[in-house]
Amino acid sequence: MAHDAGTGAALTGMVDSLMQEVARALTALAETGTRAAIDLRSLPLTPADRDQLAARLGRGEVAATLDVGGRTEVWETAYAGVWWQRHLGAGDHVAGETLEITPLPDILQSHADDIAAAALRLARDLHDTKETADA
Amino acid sequence: MPDTGQDRPTLGDSLAARGISRRSLLKYAGYLAGLMALPPMASRAMAEALAGAGRQSVIWLSFQECTGCVESLTRSFSPTIEDMIFNLISLDYSETLMAASGTAAEEARLAAMEANKGKFILVVDGSVSTRDDGIYSTNAGKTNLAVLKETAAEAAAVISVGTCAAFGGIPAARPNPTGAVPVSEIVTDKPVVNISGCPPIPDAIAGTIAYFITFGKLPELDHLNRPRAFFGDSIHDRCYRRPYYDKGLFAKSFDDEGARNGWCLYEVGCKGPVTYNACATLKWNGGVSFPIQSGHGCLGCSEPGFWDQGGFYKPLSASVMGNNAVLGGAAAAGLVAGAASVAMARRRRAAAMAAASKPGETK
Repeated sequence: MAHDAGTGAALTGMVDSLMQEVARALTALAETGTRAAIDLRSLPLTPADRDQLAARLGRGEVAATLDVGGRTEVWETAYAGVWWQRHLGAGDHVAGETLEITPLPDILQSHADDIAAAALRLARDLHDTKETADA
Repeated sequence: MPDTGQDRPTLGDSLAARGISRRSLLKYAGYLAGLMALPPMASRAMAEALAGAGRQSVIWLSFQECTGCVESLTRSFSPTIEDMIFNLISLDYSETLMAASGTAAEEARLAAMEANKGKFILVVDGSVSTRDDGIYSTNAGKTNLAVLKETAAEAAAVISVGTCAAFGGIPAARPNPTGAVPVSEIVTDKPVVNISGCPPIPDAIAGTIAYFITFGKLPELDHLNRPRAFFGDSIHDRCYRRPYYDKGLFAKSFDDEGARNGWCLYEVGCKGPVTYNACATLKWNGGVSFPIQSGHGCLGCSEPGFWDQGGFYKPLSASVMGNNAVLGGAAAAGLVAGAASVAMARRRRAAAMAAASKPGETK
């Protein structure tokens, strides 16, 4: 079993397989638009594996932090279309962690229902503001 | 006034009314998909299904219990994704949590039963007293036994939360003076899901309810009617100390070199090899730790009859054999001898379960 030079922790070699899976999914996204996701928490990755995966995928141009029922961190990796998504729960422990192979993760998009509700709220706020100014 | 469930808005509507965006629902769906070992891409469909569903009516009955199960589900440290379950359900009756009391509380239960006949989920924590027609545990002038029969008759499904409700637990331990039995002994014509543990892991309770809301059916269950997603692996299989077991490195006492080095706790009584639960992966207190990580062996609290298994600090092999003959072998040969003693312990558990098939009897 190999060891990570920096930490001495065990590397299982799983990252090599995982990178192949990401590559296949990214090719499918490019050719057919098929989206995919990989649940990292379901895989027996060691901390060293995780660090190795992060190093090999790298960081891209976009990173976002969401305050949605606890913190969520999303960033695009160095490979466009491969996004790392980490949901944090109570005590900032990792409640969910996925790689999403998609043009844009769902959680970054505004949902149609939220947009409709926001449009109503904004119209109401403008109406209230006008009434206040007229009074 | 009790919530009758009539004209109940969809989850999407009620979340929007409270300023909670669909992102929260999407995040929760992703969290659940991970917990329940569902395909990650299922989270979007799950979120849409949840948004269009009504809040699930839940009636929660507490019988012979210590309230630890309710504490497990309701305890949280800050508003987080785990709390979303409380946005998905309408808790129409819970003696511990509801503001109403006395006649008004009982009316709330009956009103919720009537409004959601055949649709509500009945959650029960605590075992059911059956001796002398169940008079050893009563509430509002009715025995737990009578209330369970009356309420379960109108439920869509029953979830037994905690080892007492699932398997009889501590009230059913010898000599079982109240004739305590699990819910499944009384409710035989409805699906009964067991979420065992003392207490059970809150994610397992919430995940099972959310799965039912999302898919309109119960998740896949094991031979003890526990959701496989949470009870599919033994504590031992997922334990971070497992490599020490495989190498034959064991703590011999709670203050020796092995204990200080974090070696396997098998020889000081850990029941992890025969205990199926998700403590080793989901952990407790916001994912901080679990008993083995804190230096104590697993008690096996999610298994039937855990209180009467021969001692928390005796190794499984000693419990099985009545002597330490196997123990030395386990320490020397690690996996091989250990696996043999685990197999024997499993047979012993099966025998104990057979013997406990009539847990209402005083032993």
